[in-house]
Amino acid sequence: MNRLILKYGFPITVVILAIFAWVVFQRISRGWDEVVPLAIVAVVVWVLGAPAFIYLWPRITVNGFKRAILKHGLGGGPIPLNSLYAAPLTSSSSAPARSLLATGTNKLLYVAGWLDLKKGPLILRVPDMAGRYYSVQFTDPSNSANFAYVGKRATGTRAGEYFLTGPDWNGTVPAGMTRISSPNNSALVVGRVFVANESDLPTAYGLAQQIQLVPPNLA
Amino acid sequence: MAGFLTWVSQSGVVQGIIIGATFAFLTAVLVMNAVIKTVTTTVNGWSAIRACGRPENGVLVRAACAKALPAVNVFEEAAYWTATKDGSGQGLSGNQEYVLRFPAGQLPPNDAFWSLTVTDMVGYMVDNPINRSSIDDGSELVENSDGSIDIYLQRAAPSGREQNWLPTPAGKFKLMLRAYLPGTEILNEKYQVPPIMRIQ
Repeated sequence: MNRLILKYGFPITVVILAIFAWVVFQRISRGWDEVVPLAIVAVVVWVLGAPAFIYLWPRITVNGFKRAILKHGLGGGPIPLNSLYAAPLTSSSSAPARSLLATGTNKLLYVAGWLDLKKGPLILRVPDMAGRYYSVQFTDPSNSANFAYVGKRATGTRAGEYFLTGPDWNGTVPAGMTRISSPNNSALVVGRVFVANESDLPTAYGLAQQIQLVPPNLA
Repeated sequence: MAGFLTWVSQSGVVQGIIIGATFAFLTAVLVMNAVIKTVTTTVNGWSAIRACGRPENGVLVRAACAKALPAVNVFEEAAYWTATKDGSGQGLSGNQEYVLRFPAGQLPPNDAFWSLTVTDMVGYMVDNPINRSSIDDGSELVENSDGSIDIYLQRAAPSGREQNWLPTPAGKFKLMLRAYLPGTEILNEKYQVPPIMRIQ
C-alpha cells in the first residue's frame, strides 16, 4: 500500500483534485450560493489541518514502525511488547516485500522492539561485543528524536545493563546500571549488529539475540 | 435534528471537510518537501541530511526528517548519502552504464563499515542475477594501478570487471551509500563522495 502511494502519488493526487474540481463545478453550475458553505469549511479545515499534519508527522511515521513491529515483526511473527527480536538474516532483495528488512544493509543484523514503560522500568542487557560495531537506538514516538544510544560509539562494546525508566518513575537505579530516561512511556528500539561476512553471521546472530529486555524482578 | 443533518449532507459541509483535509495534507507534504530541501546538502549528486534524529530539532525539521528518513540514526552514528542523479544531473537509469571512481584512499572514512546499496526509487532492494545488492568494505574490489577503485553500475556484467560490479535494475534506480561511525573527515564535511559518471 505504502509502496503504491509512493510510486503513484502524483497521478493519484491529480485524479483526486480532478474529482474535487468536478464536485465544485457541479455546485457552481447550480448557483454560487451552493458553494459558500463548502468553501468556508474547506478553508478552515485547510488552515488548521496543514500545521496539524506537520506537527503529527513524526508521530505518524514512528507509529508505522510500532504497527510493523507489534503486528508483523521482522520475519519471525509479531514482536511482543517490551521484548526485542533479532532478525536471523541481513537485508537482501529476497527479504519479504513490504518488510522493513528490504530497505537496510547486508552488513547489519537488525533488532527491533517497542517499549511500554507504563508498568515500570525495564533492563536492557547487552553482551560483550568485543570491539564489534553495534548500536541500540531509542526513538521518542512523539517527535522522532533519538533520545539515547547504547553501543560502540555511545557506551563502548563491553557487556552492560541499562535501566530504562518512563517519565513518571521515581526510585533508585540498581547498582552497576546506567539509567536511560525515556521522555515518553512508549519508545521505539532499533538495534544493529555488524556482520563481517557470511561466515561471521552465526556469531553476529548469537550476539544480536543476547541484546535483551528484562523486567527488573527477573534480573 | 433531521433538518440539520439534511443541511449538512446537502450544503457541501462534508465535501468541504474532505477537500480541506486533502488540501491540508498536500500543503503539509509541500512544506515538508521544502524543508527537506533546506536541510539537505548535495555534493556531486549525493545528498545527505545531517540534522535528523536530534531532540533539539524544531517542529519543521522533525517533520521533514520523519518524511525523508523515518527513525534514522543521528549523523555521527551513521552517515547516509543518496543519489538519484549522476554527476551531470541526469537521472540514474538501468538503461545507462555508470562508473563510480573512488580515488586512492578516498573510500568513505569510518570506524565501523561502509556500504553502497542499489534500490528501486522507493528504497527496496531489487532481485538481480548475481544476488548482489550492495558493495561494501568486505567486497574484494580490484584496484586500478593508481590505487583508485572503480565501481561499475550497470545491468549487464562488465566483462573482466565482475568483482567491481553492482548490478542495477531496469528503469530508474537509487543508490544509498552508508558510513557507520563516520570518520572526522565526513563529520567536518571535508570528505566528498565522488560523482557517478555515465560511461559514454
